[in-house]
Amino acid sequence: MTDVPVNRIRNFSIIAHIDHGKSTLADRLLQDTGTVEAREMKEQFLDNMDLERERGITIKLQAARMKYRAQDGQDYILNLIDTPGHVDFSYEVSRSLAACEGALLVVDASQGVEAQTLANVYLALEHNLEIIPVLNKIDLPGAEPDRVREEVEEVVGLDCSEAILASAKEGIGVPEILETIVRKVPSPQDTIDQPLRALVFDSYYDAYRGVVVYFRVMDGVVNVGDKVRFMASGKEYVIDELGVLAPTQVRVDSLHAGEVGYLAASIKAVGDARVGDTITIATKAAPDPLPGYVEAKPMVFCGLFPTDADQFPDLREALDKLRLNDAALSFEPETSSAMGFGFRCGFLGLLHMEIVQERLEREYNLDLITTAPSVVYRVTTIKGEVLLIDNPSHLPDPQYREKIEEPYVQVDIITPETYVGTLMELCQTRRGIFKDMKYLTPGRTTLIYELPLAEVVTDFFDQMKSRSRGYASMEYQLIGYRENNLVRLDILINGDPVDPLATIVHRDKAYGVGRALTEKLKELIPRHQFKIPIQAAIGSKVIASEHIPALRKDVLAKCYGGDISRKKKLLQKQAKGKKRMKAIGTVDVPQEAFMAVLKIGQENKG
Amino acid sequence: MLHNDAITAAYLHIPFCRRRCYYCDFPISVVGDRKTGHNSGMIQTYVEKLCGEIRGTAQRSTQPYQTQLQTIFFGGGTPSLLTPQQLDRLLTTLDQTFGIAPEAEISIEIDPGTFDRAQLQGYRSAGITRVSLGSQAFQPELLQVCGRTHQVGDIYYSVELIHEVGITNYSLDLISGLPSQTVQQWQASLEAAIDLRPTHLSTYDLTLEPGTVFGKRYQPGDRPLPTDETTADMYRLASRTLQAAGYEHYEISNYAQPGYACRHNLTYWKNRSFYGFGMGATSYVNGQRFARPRTREAYYQWLENPEIPSELLASEIDHTSDLLVETLMVGLRLAKGVAIEDLRQQFGNSAIERVWQCLKRYQAPGWLEAWDATGKRLPPDVSWEEIDRINLSEPEGFLFSNVVLVSLFEAFGTG
Repeated sequence: MTDVPVNRIRNFSIIAHIDHGKSTLADRLLQDTGTVEAREMKEQFLDNMDLERERGITIKLQAARMKYRAQDGQDYILNLIDTPGHVDFSYEVSRSLAACEGALLVVDASQGVEAQTLANVYLALEHNLEIIPVLNKIDLPGAEPDRVREEVEEVVGLDCSEAILASAKEGIGVPEILETIVRKVPSPQDTIDQPLRALVFDSYYDAYRGVVVYFRVMDGVVNVGDKVRFMASGKEYVIDELGVLAPTQVRVDSLHAGEVGYLAASIKAVGDARVGDTITIATKAAPDPLPGYVEAKPMVFCGLFPTDADQFPDLREALDKLRLNDAALSFEPETSSAMGFGFRCGFLGLLHMEIVQERLEREYNLDLITTAPSVVYRVTTIKGEVLLIDNPSHLPDPQYREKIEEPYVQVDIITPETYVGTLMELCQTRRGIFKDMKYLTPGRTTLIYELPLAEVVTDFFDQMKSRSRGYASMEYQLIGYRENNLVRLDILINGDPVDPLATIVHRDKAYGVGRALTEKLKELIPRHQFKIPIQAAIGSKVIASEHIPALRKDVLAKCYGGDISRKKKLLQKQAKGKKRMKAIGTVDVPQEAFMAVLKIGQENKG
Repeated sequence: MLHNDAITAAYLHIPFCRRRCYYCDFPISVVGDRKTGHNSGMIQTYVEKLCGEIRGTAQRSTQPYQTQLQTIFFGGGTPSLLTPQQLDRLLTTLDQTFGIAPEAEISIEIDPGTFDRAQLQGYRSAGITRVSLGSQAFQPELLQVCGRTHQVGDIYYSVELIHEVGITNYSLDLISGLPSQTVQQWQASLEAAIDLRPTHLSTYDLTLEPGTVFGKRYQPGDRPLPTDETTADMYRLASRTLQAAGYEHYEISNYAQPGYACRHNLTYWKNRSFYGFGMGATSYVNGQRFARPRTREAYYQWLENPEIPSELLASEIDHTSDLLVETLMVGLRLAKGVAIEDLRQQFGNSAIERVWQCLKRYQAPGWLEAWDATGKRLPPDVSWEEIDRINLSEPEGFLFSNVVLVSLFEAFGTG
């Protein structure tokens, strides 16, 4: 890797909605610049995790350095910094945008702008990025570049007269994109003489080298062997390895202002080198860190319990390992009378939660019971103490409470006009407060609501998708805490309160939720040899009740020679199902029951 | 661990029926009501193929020593669609290959309205010693509900013929839990059956099998199916009524006068080896269960090359714990249950210790009983060494037998 003048560097990212072709375009750029040979091209090179490939989304971002000879005959270094494509990770997005001078705004020419894209474009504009609009998938029969161009102009307020018409899949428009990046994206400022400041935009844990940190040098120079300090964590390390991402890691001795690279310095956990932190030289520190560092705060909490109590140490080990790589994951031991030992875990959002659960089950082979997600409530006691409660079962009893506040978010939904009615109804039933409705272009609308986060982290996203046949998209941001008339709804199975099933709900909705929940549990819990009452209660007052009738028989009428294998399989299946259940007292409760509150579906909307 | 007990039982599947009953998921071919022409040719071909399979099996047999067959069972389907000549040919083939013991039990399933006196006489001459009559119910509306071809009168006429040709050992089948069936109707069927004084009775609680007419028509718990509560009561009623009439409740769904339990079926419940011949039939030889192809065409094709097992049902069968759980699964169907000493010899002390750890909790609800060698009922806290035999109680333990078995499968984690 030869040294490169600052004015020949272009740092950019790609902003796109899921499925609008970001990964395919990134792959194309790598191929067309000869960074990756076609034959070594794995489908979607930048999406490294299996989970990402399966879901077609980028969870952890990546970066790639490309060498490109432009039409002016000069060689340029183009650094692509990929961004994760989900609302849970908007902080990471903002950090990688801060590491760039420009961004490609990729919009599907047959679809249009989506809420998530819009949110990221605004982020990019905040960071003064040069935005290059690209209308992708123009080869598709349904492509309407003119309509979409108009939409981008109106919604984003971006001049689209020079928008590039492209099809990443067919390779159309890719040379123009590369030329435009060189021509339009400003080169980084030449601040090589200043003290080192490098922005961490990603990191991951490597078993051999410790944490590998991805960063952009904003000012100064960094060399192998330098002792560096992470200004937010205050930790200091000597750099063992320095390199660029081409896109595989290639070692270099030094990186200077404008360049993007990685370092390894025997750092033990990603928590010590968090995204957004500033790296400086320990002995010649910059006076101020780069702006914008925020410690990621979990928004959603749930309990994770091993189905088999013996797996508790394995669960702890697995969470420890995941945390090495995921600074946003928090967890602490939780003991529940019903569930035994487990962990209360905090996540950035629902997707983050699902990803962690799935990785625990898949990569660490754990059988888990997950309790329904909860947000963090702010409870003021009569003594004036303020408690943060992320576990409904820890909510103080009413006589000790002065007030309960819950987090609110502003939700922006972009939808075809047809679905406005049904989506407004959805927001209303979720205690939403209507704020605004804007017509983007004929036929497309933005709905703005303020909603309690607790209502959003249940099945809001799924409901929005199903009510709009998949066409609506959303984005939300925290806007603060508000006091509400909230109560804890307890669930009693066979007379015993089951704390992981407790939820905090608005008093006006408690009756409906209680009824729906008891009905759902009746469906999910199998019959036992005795009658099982299921009750929903606020304090000592039972507000809904159902019962599961006793099992009357469970017997195979016929079992002759030809039946034995089949009947055996039947019983084996039953045994497997039973193994995955959690014994609550004398009642076996299946995993799904603990998420029942998310599945009460349509019956309960008010 | 391989099963290499001497094989003394053979099952022959006769897969032809006039119509398919609404509860039936057996492999069969529907031949309609005519017994001549095309159909008789079809059955004749099948009989020839079946004889071929029997001879081939005997030739390839790796049994260390050959013992004569003690029990033979012609099941279906409707085996009474066979002519006496066809039956004779099958029995002769079995005798020439494996040999049939002089005191062998040779059973055939017959359906009311499918045979006459000459035919039954012919069966008897060919060697049949026991018949099982598919009576199912004594109410015309219930026979119709389940798609049977016969009338109530056919049942009485059939029993008359059975007596006339001198067959003394015969069984009747009854089904409980049929759509719209009432407890009173069930009681009436039980009493009608008792009045005929068969040596043996099978009472089956209706199972909704996927793919059957009933399976498609009803979900468990749907009207007009009787509730679980009602069918459990029907089960208890059968147990009470039949025992009062002198029948022993010797298996979950089977009753017999003393000494008349079906010897062939006991082979299954004691988890012993058996031969199986014919389309869809299962055999259990050398510890391996094989299911033959379930269509005629596929079965005939397989016969061209029968060394290749069509479907190995349980390749893991030689796993000790799997065999142990399977032995208990079938053994606990019997009122006599299982002998601890037999289990110990086959599976060892620690396995029995684990079985007992798992099962002893079912004594409290009265589902499981443990006995010592003198026939004394043992208290719940007893250690397994003192036990001679364990069994599920009749009728409550039988009714919840799956709960007990599932806990065994869970404890031994097989599958």
